[in-house]
Amino acid sequence: MILRLSFVSLQISRRALIVSAVLSLLMLSLLMLSVSMGYYPLSLTRIIAAIGDHASEVEQMIVMDHRLPRILSAVGAGAAFGLAGAMFQTMLRNPLASPDVIGFNAGAAFGALAAIVMTGANILPGALIGGLLTAAAVTALAWHNGLHPYRLILVGIGASLTLVAGADLLMSRLDSMTASEMAKWLIGTLNSRDWGDVRLIWGGLALMLPLCLWLQFPLSRLAMDDDISTSLGLALSPLRLTITTTGVALVALAVSVAGPLPFVAFVSGPIARRIVGGGKPALLASAMIGALVTLLADTLARSVPIVQLPAGVFTALIGAPVLMWLLLVQFRKGTL
Amino acid sequence: MDTDMGSNSPSVPSERPGTDPRGLWFCLSVLGLVILAGLSLRFGLRPTGWDQILAALTDYDRMNPDQIVIRAIRLPRLAGAILAGASLGVAGALMQGMTRNPLADPGLFGVNAGAALGVVVCIMFLGQTDPASFIWVALGGALVASLLVFLLGGGGQANPARLVLAGAAVSALFLALSRTALIVSHQALEVYRFWVLGGFNGVDFATINTLLPFFAVGFVIAIFAAITLNALMLGEDTARSLGVRVGSAQLVIGLAIVILCGATVAMAGPIAFVGLIVPHLARWRAGPDMRWMMLYSASFGAILMISADLAGRLPLFGGNMQAGVMSAMIGGPALIWLVRRNGVSKL
Repeated sequence: MILRLSFVSLQISRRALIVSAVLSLLMLSLLMLSVSMGYYPLSLTRIIAAIGDHASEVEQMIVMDHRLPRILSAVGAGAAFGLAGAMFQTMLRNPLASPDVIGFNAGAAFGALAAIVMTGANILPGALIGGLLTAAAVTALAWHNGLHPYRLILVGIGASLTLVAGADLLMSRLDSMTASEMAKWLIGTLNSRDWGDVRLIWGGLALMLPLCLWLQFPLSRLAMDDDISTSLGLALSPLRLTITTTGVALVALAVSVAGPLPFVAFVSGPIARRIVGGGKPALLASAMIGALVTLLADTLARSVPIVQLPAGVFTALIGAPVLMWLLLVQFRKGTL
Repeated sequence: MDTDMGSNSPSVPSERPGTDPRGLWFCLSVLGLVILAGLSLRFGLRPTGWDQILAALTDYDRMNPDQIVIRAIRLPRLAGAILAGASLGVAGALMQGMTRNPLADPGLFGVNAGAALGVVVCIMFLGQTDPASFIWVALGGALVASLLVFLLGGGGQANPARLVLAGAAVSALFLALSRTALIVSHQALEVYRFWVLGGFNGVDFATINTLLPFFAVGFVIAIFAAITLNALMLGEDTARSLGVRVGSAQLVIGLAIVILCGATVAMAGPIAFVGLIVPHLARWRAGPDMRWMMLYSASFGAILMISADLAGRLPLFGGNMQAGVMSAMIGGPALIWLVRRNGVSKL
């Protein structure tokens, strides 16, 4: 299907349309389910009333102050993780190369722990500074006549392993109360988000989305090998630097809202590629999958009584089997 | 990896070790190992003289405090470091040779994550908190995880890329399970966060004796595997035409990797990096011949591990930094340096 406006024409595959329709439907139903369930179950009409300012004070507080901000934060953070994951995986031509490969997550964990050990607070700024510094250092160290994907992965692994050891060490230096608090933060949680978080993540996404959509075009050519991409007129190194910077910024946003949720960035890209098909990078589909996985995980986390489990536990428990299934299917089809 | 790669090619007759630079370098590395071992016996919180070390080794006086420290603490610690370093180095070389992937690391087989989950489960459900009781659960967890990786990775007709991917997926799943357990159980977190640093502080001869058969089996398989790997390195089709049963060879090699790494994790906790970095260092002197690679990986691995253990005793690191942390601190920058120095194609 080709969409023609006055001076642009856009090729849209029927499959992509169907996929986005199905994903949107899924997202919508999950959103409604998530808002309505909890300690205080609410019917759909009550929710609409609460949003429209016609419900009792309690119901309004539950919907507007607790559930909606948390759910919208989850969706936004998941989308950011999904986008960043797909960008890195396409750029580095490796399904394993999610942003944590270049050390962002390890840097963020180390930064958060260092902030706790040194100042007793400031987890979030510590995590952001740690993650961004690590990503910058890894990119700079991997730069040698341009940014080569394989070198970026290797340097990233080196930095990650060192930082993980450092984080383990800091964990052993904490007192036991702080340690158990940090264990929760380190896996990523969406407990008690407010509208400030929602504004942060959605504002950031709105700013980055045009850039990501534009990057989709060079990314689809970047998936081929370096020689072909260069002969198609791509300036590889500046492009890779742009993608890395954008991806890292997205991850930083998402981490600052939801903590380092494992697996979301890792699985969104491969699932999206698989359902969209055609070997395209599928950034938008990946963002939607990321949002779906995160929201599902957080909804599950909310549905567990007594212990407040962090959402990250469930993103991992959903993500890992999905990834394994994906591996099995792809191997069977011989596409890997 | 270096300019005299040509002279290290298999065309050099390895039957005459006297004229082979690889033999000379190997002897030098063993010499280095012995010197480091001596330093490791001598230095620590309680400095001892060389005469005491000699006496402790040859004519042990059970009443002399210096000799007790050497015999009861430093000697098992040294033996543990040598065994762990050598097995991680050999396992890394086996894995990188088998998967023909320079990034392959025994940790990627799910061994570390499996062992960690085993330990966490043991603390949570059996109430064990003494690291000495972790040996069997760690070994069991490592076995389960790597079996899962092997099955997901395609069993007999394992494809290298598939193995690595399956390993990453299984590791991540096991890690997530342990983290969940750690959030639920405070007691598990309290023990786990010290165990996970990895080190030889608590290693004694009883532990080493329990695990020695595993190490021995692993090393013996590795020696035989080296010959098969030389053929496998040429590609699976070529290996097949040379009469290698690729599937069963990979199964046996995989088993050796699991045994070596599982025993190491059981003894000293998860130690990152040695398995990844040592084969790269070994290739620098050993060239492509896997038989030499095994020898060099064992000696370089042991050297790296003793150095990490020794460096952790420096006052700079508070006198007792775990070897697992030290090896990561040395290994990370070393990997980055290797990548930058050699360029990508060589790694």
